[in-house]
Amino acid sequence: MRPALILFLLLPLLAWGNPVSTEQVTARLVAERAAAAPGETAELLLSLDIRPGWHTYWRNPGDSGEPPRIDWTLPAGVEAGPLRFPTPGLIRVGPLANFGYSGRALHPVSLKVPAGWPVGEPIRARAEAHWLVCEEHCIPESAVLELSLPVAERPGATDPAVAGLFAEAREGLPRGSIPDALLLPTAEGARLEVPLDDAIPPPVAVRYFPSSWGLIEHAADQPWRLVRGEGGDRIQVDLTPDAGIASADLGGLLSLRGADGVARSYELAPRRVAGRTSGREGASSLGLPLALGFAFLGGLILNLMPCVFPVLAIKAMGLVGQGALATRERAIHGLSYTAGVLVFFGVLGGLLLALRAGGAALGWGFQLQYPPFVAAMAYLFLVLGLALSGALTLGVRLMGLAAGPQRPGQGVAAAFATGALAALVAAPCTAPFMGAALGYAVTLSWPLALAILLTLGLGLAGPYLLLSLWPALAARLPRPGPWMEVLKQLLAFPLFATAAWLLWVLSVQSGPTGVALGLSGMLLLAFGLWVRERTVLAPAPWPWLGSAAAILGLAVALWLALLVDGTGIQGPPDTPGVDTAGDARERPAQALPHEPYSAERLAAAQAEGRPVLVNMTAAWCITCLVNERVALSTRRVAEQLAARDVLYLKGDWTNRDPAITDFLAGFGRTGVPIYVLYPRVGEPRVLPQILTPAIVESAIASLGDPDPSQPKGESP
Amino acid sequence: MNRSPMRPFLVGACLALAATLTAGAVAAKPEVGQPAPAFSVADTTGKTWSLADLAGKGLILEWTNHDCPYVQKHYGSGNMQALQQEARDAGYVWLSVISSAPGKQGHVSAAEADELTEGRGAAPTAVLLDVDGAMGRAYGAKTTPHMFVIDGAGSLVYMGGIDDRATTDPADVAGAENYVRLALTDLAAGKAVSNPATRPYGCSVKY
Repeated sequence: MRPALILFLLLPLLAWGNPVSTEQVTARLVAERAAAAPGETAELLLSLDIRPGWHTYWRNPGDSGEPPRIDWTLPAGVEAGPLRFPTPGLIRVGPLANFGYSGRALHPVSLKVPAGWPVGEPIRARAEAHWLVCEEHCIPESAVLELSLPVAERPGATDPAVAGLFAEAREGLPRGSIPDALLLPTAEGARLEVPLDDAIPPPVAVRYFPSSWGLIEHAADQPWRLVRGEGGDRIQVDLTPDAGIASADLGGLLSLRGADGVARSYELAPRRVAGRTSGREGASSLGLPLALGFAFLGGLILNLMPCVFPVLAIKAMGLVGQGALATRERAIHGLSYTAGVLVFFGVLGGLLLALRAGGAALGWGFQLQYPPFVAAMAYLFLVLGLALSGALTLGVRLMGLAAGPQRPGQGVAAAFATGALAALVAAPCTAPFMGAALGYAVTLSWPLALAILLTLGLGLAGPYLLLSLWPALAARLPRPGPWMEVLKQLLAFPLFATAAWLLWVLSVQSGPTGVALGLSGMLLLAFGLWVRERTVLAPAPWPWLGSAAAILGLAVALWLALLVDGTGIQGPPDTPGVDTAGDARERPAQALPHEPYSAERLAAAQAEGRPVLVNMTAAWCITCLVNERVALSTRRVAEQLAARDVLYLKGDWTNRDPAITDFLAGFGRTGVPIYVLYPRVGEPRVLPQILTPAIVESAIASLGDPDPSQPKGESP
Repeated sequence: MNRSPMRPFLVGACLALAATLTAGAVAAKPEVGQPAPAFSVADTTGKTWSLADLAGKGLILEWTNHDCPYVQKHYGSGNMQALQQEARDAGYVWLSVISSAPGKQGHVSAAEADELTEGRGAAPTAVLLDVDGAMGRAYGAKTTPHMFVIDGAGSLVYMGGIDDRATTDPADVAGAENYVRLALTDLAAGKAVSNPATRPYGCSVKY
């Protein structure tokens, strides 16, 4: 039989005395001072000296185990405080983790001596201590520790024999608490955000020990980083949620080990941010069929969105070009187009998920958040526009992108490419239905997320597929003729308009330098292509030189596009003129006064009991700009917000901003716009993605009547 | 023109969609209200038990380790045996699972496991020897005891501790609220389990 079992059988024989040695532990109960005084508190210490290789537990023991406890027998009037726990260590046991102590565990505890206790009469305290001590297997042990505490008029001198022990115990206790910690839901799980005081040395190791079970996976790694910001440094710790995260107490102990090797710990009582309860659960409760339905519908609506319009034009041209083809070939075209859209969405989704897995805080529409990509897209639309207007005759492959070739062999490839192009441009336009479906997708396992994205692609491809599969509809298309050339030239203008819009996006992202680089690239590219156009029919060496000029122009233009990224470093949030409220001339009179969004500002305003309207926007988001112009810039809205002292916070997602990506994830969204109204008290309310003045006004009115007697900053 | 160039795309897209829809449920962590993780483990007689074979029957899983003081609390007091008998009388299949790795505490041979069952007067339907810990990891079994209740439709309806007294003291059995018994009572009444996930307590599973 194993020694552990023998020990267990012997256990009922409780050890008595002080100190008491069991097989694995030597337990002592000591007083700090030689005497206690009536009306004062006497500091005691439960010290457990643990055999090497064994450990005892913190107040939350982790995946298994049990914290030590004391059953007191005390004279009437004497009261014992709770057993206090020093900073634990992480003890891994296979796939599990425990929080506890090796070597020695020191647990301070206070005894309150009543004011009327007679001086000279010692306090006889009897502490029945129970603890679980484990190596890999566990043994519950107990000891009755007896202590006779002299009582004098004044507290006695510190007992030199135990002074070192008490100093060590205090060293191990939490250093206090850090207020204003936040727990934010993220796409991956949850993130703890802790503001770091200047007095705390920058840590080299960080661990969050939750006070209660069910909040986070105890054994999971906790990647962390130090973020330097305007409002001071912050520590971000990524946590893996457990079953009870929605209801569990968020409190716990943050242990920071400094470069000096000292572990300092701080109590945290984090606040939940950005309505996990309303937002995320709302998104998750969206069933899979419904989410797929929304994704399909969102894809359909994408066909009507402004930034898909140029591609719709391309698609219309493609269909016209196919007018002479047989029904079967049209069907193949339609299906190839669909396959192009699906492959694009699949690749993009895979990329998004791969980046998500890599911890990159990116959201949907990230293509247009990368300035070189924007510049390259502007080039593409310029070249396509030039080709349509007749200034260039590009190779069959590129032409196929726009007009759809006549030869069957290239038909499939070109239709496939058109599909992919349509999807490429559609992705950043978050149609109203897309928000919820995508948010749902990002909270799911990767296979389900991909299913949602592919359904979205199916919706986008649907109308074109229908048109090419339905002979009756296709037959209604006009016959080819000379008008096609006119139409082709006309359709160049939406493409030029798109290029102009992309340049404007670039101006917001990278300022004048970015626009200059982009325009220079466009000029060089156009010149190179012009040289090629002039020389393509000339004798021997010229076509070769023309192609070289075009390639050189393209290469330099792309190099300039890459330079744009460098100019964007200053970033929009601090750049004046970055305000995405729209036309600058409108702003002084009508745009609402706002502050830039930050989680801290939001939390502070909520703590003050001040209602908050959060608007997340981006320069490339047409819906956002329209909403701001139509619904958020009226005088009435401004007056109502002012009357109710509503803080208007605006986040700009034009460039990647992880803080905003997190906020969006908190509401199950991966794209802008989102409008959230936080009342003084209660759950935040998400407004629709398409706003009217009436919606905004009624939402603000729901905050209650303006109350002039309530001063700014008063708590609810 | 023929169909071959586009067919792979369509087939691929359909396959991707189908695969994604089915794959989602398999790799997930055990979650109350979701299908319970699959398992296929031999018992002490060599018979293989799998979740799929138990469709239509209520199932209770008990992770155990006879050397663990928390397990001894519930067997020493007769609490676990009584619960096993009640559950089996109510038509449940009760599987005791031993996930201790060879050489670790609680690891037993089939014969030893049968001796333990007989010696303690235990009444599980079978004792599974999860030697490589695959079933334990699939369920995220953390402690001994750690209890799981699965309904006839294969959904996990309870996971967590056996009761609310996380101690080794047999005297605590009497006043404790037994979460498994409460779950069975709720299910018998046709209700959802009122307390479907609680903190499991005990020794760590010796993977």
